[in-house]
Amino acid sequence: MSKILKRIYMALILILLYAPIVTLIVLSFNSSRSRARWGGFTLQWYHDLFQDSEIMRAFYTTLTVALLASVIATLIGTLAAIGIQHMHRKSRAFFMGVTNIPMVNSEIVMGVSLMLLFIIGRIEFGFGTILLAHITFDIPYVILSVLPKLKQTNRSTYEAALDLGAAPFFAFRKTILPDIMPGIVSGFMMAFTMSLDDFVVTYFTKGPGVDTLSTKIYAEVRKGIKPEIYALSTILFLSVLILLMLINFTPSKNSRKELIKDEKYLKKHGRKRIFTKRLILGRAIPALLIIVVSAGGIYYQAEASVSSDNELVVYNWGEYMDPGVITDFEKETGIHVIYEEFETNEIMYPKIRSGAVSYDLVCPSDYMIRKMIDNNLLQPINKDHIPNLKNIGSLYLKTAEQYDPGNQYSIPYCWGTVGILYNKKLVDEPVDSWSILWETKYKDNILMQDSVRDAFAVALKYLGYSLNSTNIRELREAEKLLQDQKPLVQAYVIDQVRDKMIGGEAALGVIYSGEAIYTVKENPDLAYAIPKEGSNVWIDGWCIPKDAKHVENAEKFLNYLCRPDVALKNFDYIGYSTPNTAARDLIEDEDLRNSEVAFPDEETLSRCETMSYLGPEAEEIYNSLWNQVKSS
Amino acid sequence: MKNKLIELTDVSKSFDGNMVLDEINLYIRENEFLTLLGPSGCGKTTTLRILGGFEQPDTGRVFFDGKDITSLPPNKRQLNTVFQKYALFPHMTIAENIAFGLKIRKKPQSYINDKIRYALKLVNLEGTEDRYPDVLSGGQQQRIAIARAIVNEPKVLLLDEPLGALDLKLRQSMQYELMRLKRELGITFVYVTHDQEEALTMSDTIVVMNQGYIQQIGTPESIYNEPQNAFVADFIGDSNIVDGIMVQDRLVEIFGTQFPCVDVGFGTNRPVDVVIRPEDLELTSPEKGQIRGRVRSLIFKGVHYEMEIHTNAYDWLVHSTKMAEVGSEVGLTVDPFNIQIMNKPASEDEAAPEPEE
Repeated sequence: MSKILKRIYMALILILLYAPIVTLIVLSFNSSRSRARWGGFTLQWYHDLFQDSEIMRAFYTTLTVALLASVIATLIGTLAAIGIQHMHRKSRAFFMGVTNIPMVNSEIVMGVSLMLLFIIGRIEFGFGTILLAHITFDIPYVILSVLPKLKQTNRSTYEAALDLGAAPFFAFRKTILPDIMPGIVSGFMMAFTMSLDDFVVTYFTKGPGVDTLSTKIYAEVRKGIKPEIYALSTILFLSVLILLMLINFTPSKNSRKELIKDEKYLKKHGRKRIFTKRLILGRAIPALLIIVVSAGGIYYQAEASVSSDNELVVYNWGEYMDPGVITDFEKETGIHVIYEEFETNEIMYPKIRSGAVSYDLVCPSDYMIRKMIDNNLLQPINKDHIPNLKNIGSLYLKTAEQYDPGNQYSIPYCWGTVGILYNKKLVDEPVDSWSILWETKYKDNILMQDSVRDAFAVALKYLGYSLNSTNIRELREAEKLLQDQKPLVQAYVIDQVRDKMIGGEAALGVIYSGEAIYTVKENPDLAYAIPKEGSNVWIDGWCIPKDAKHVENAEKFLNYLCRPDVALKNFDYIGYSTPNTAARDLIEDEDLRNSEVAFPDEETLSRCETMSYLGPEAEEIYNSLWNQVKSS
Repeated sequence: MKNKLIELTDVSKSFDGNMVLDEINLYIRENEFLTLLGPSGCGKTTTLRILGGFEQPDTGRVFFDGKDITSLPPNKRQLNTVFQKYALFPHMTIAENIAFGLKIRKKPQSYINDKIRYALKLVNLEGTEDRYPDVLSGGQQQRIAIARAIVNEPKVLLLDEPLGALDLKLRQSMQYELMRLKRELGITFVYVTHDQEEALTMSDTIVVMNQGYIQQIGTPESIYNEPQNAFVADFIGDSNIVDGIMVQDRLVEIFGTQFPCVDVGFGTNRPVDVVIRPEDLELTSPEKGQIRGRVRSLIFKGVHYEMEIHTNAYDWLVHSTKMAEVGSEVGLTVDPFNIQIMNKPASEDEAAPEPEE
């Protein structure tokens, strides 16, 4: 009986441990893009993965960084361990403590402090800073695994080698090195794995255009997970698994049993064979690995970084520009574009503010543009240098004045509204008011946005107030309303609204129009409506930061982006409404060109407001009210 | 006498403020088997390590063949060491171990192979070339360590308690091996041990050390028979060491009884240490004895009996082929020649006499 219980317990643990990974692996072979549906077996995502040069470059950057960092850290760490070993006891304890700190220190502190150091030291962010950071956090792991081996080392073998005429380094190589080799190897492996999957430190120390797999995956996931990422994660998991098995099944050369085995092998095959065996296992395979990695690294790096001074550093949202647009621009002008992505305004803002990297163009949202203007982080755009500005519809320029009076600092790039996405099969009444989100018959069929401002915008607008209200009475009313709605809500989510609605998992969801365009295309049962009480209109616009180094190139790129054909290309790629009316006229699909979802009429738009930055006090009130809603 | 090969002059060494060697003066002759003997912490191993070049003396010089080698690194010295814990290279086979020094000297492979065969024959371990050290027994490993050292044809072989980790039987046979090797190779051995029996068996010269000072230098016989102070007497073999008063030349008073002896030059009525070896006390009838006492214990030791004879002043240790029952009264006599008189050490500094020429 107890045996069965033990087995069940064991099985439970294994399931808990491996269920997520198995899910991931299964999904990587799912031909449907939806996570909820099995669309049959496919290798499509693996094929796509290797076609995606961005991911492959990130992959090789990761390997190159991990390999270089762990090799250098192993070298430094081993030497440091030898130094520490020969210290007096007190200083040894001190240095051990010092080297242990980076390991117990929180990664985010390490990342931020390294970033600050690089800023102060005026070291340009990029591959080099990632490498330096990785070496820094790798060293303690090497010291930690080499030091115990050094302590076990029989010092007299080293002296014996000296005694027999060996010079100190030769003696070290022949006696101490083989003894501590297992420690060095495991230190190297630890350092390598640490670098391989580090995210936090890399994130803070990377420069524009350089990504490791972890930062790349993070960037991708923020935009909604692409199935290629499942494939990539599966490959990563399997390689680590194989690596681990190799390490565990490679016999150590130190046990007596192994020595006797070795003797027998020696007798049977002679010296030459054992020498060849060691040569292959010990030298040839690692050498081959290094060659493959570095060749791949060089290939992909070279493809990316034809470094010259004629460049342009662009900081944009993820998936927010057709890659073809960039390559075309590079071909036309010879300007090299370094393109980096961010996930939220709040991540972008401190980066610009810190001045760690000088970006030439950045694409914040409306309220953030306001904030950046107020904090004197932007420079006015010289409109004379951007003749194509005429293609931007005046309606949108006027809306943009809500946050950028006189359109001095920004040029609208994408815009959209917030509305209700509904499934016509599940909702058979007309959707024209926020009130439908409070209908009890849709209990557990409603999806709300899991962000403070978006959620409050719905409630405030329903109540007839401004979505930028700072009136505490109005806000309390809105909070009350959200509390009332909570039992009806199936989930508070962000990106998943799209997938869940496509999968038919909910009847109603609050969504951005850009995503609505996409979902309606994927599932014809879905429809989008902007309630009559009005809603939120948002605009993302291009700005030139104050400390931009290539203003002229930035203006060229802005003018290029405003060209109707280019704007159309981006519209097709991004799917969010374009403010470029000339581009809209070029849309071939008539339904789309006249789509109410993508291009609501002036009257609807006039009912919508942009969000504005409310200041820290108001933000705090919003947050605390939102917390009350979420936690009640 | 042969030439002096190695000479240490005024060598001092301290670790963390602890004086380990205090102005040691010592020379080693060519082809000599010299043993540094003393309890642990006496400085014998440090002396050997200074000879090997693993430690630098704080003061003093080391000469080899007349040349100053004080600051020469170990790999440049013409001597080889056999370490206490063998210190074989665990990742190399026996042959690779033995060939290590030869390969560094870039000897031709045929020469190396000959040397390996010769050395393994010398230490009676033929056929172990392709084995690994950890697979061999302790005694075998020790012999490999010796083989590894001697193939380099050093002028001096330093041995740091090489038999310390072996059991008694093996230790004794290895002592004969070492003596045979020394005879066959004709090189100088400097041997460190705390085992007095080992030292007495093998050495030409014994250097007795204690607390960083040389206590006595001499042949095994002179060290045993004529210890120069109570420490040496106590450390080498069993001894009765008692307080005495030198009444005049050739007469010493022990516990109120006067004994004729052969020593002169200690002055008159001077307190001295008196050493009488247990085997030099003769058992006799109570009336005939210079000392009278009762047998307190009796142990049979094979070649002799060991007895404790109780007197009011002292319990005498006696080794004798005769025996007396426990509790019986006996007398003890001692030949004047077997009474060893020593000055009492006034302070520790004086306890270290200059080495005799």
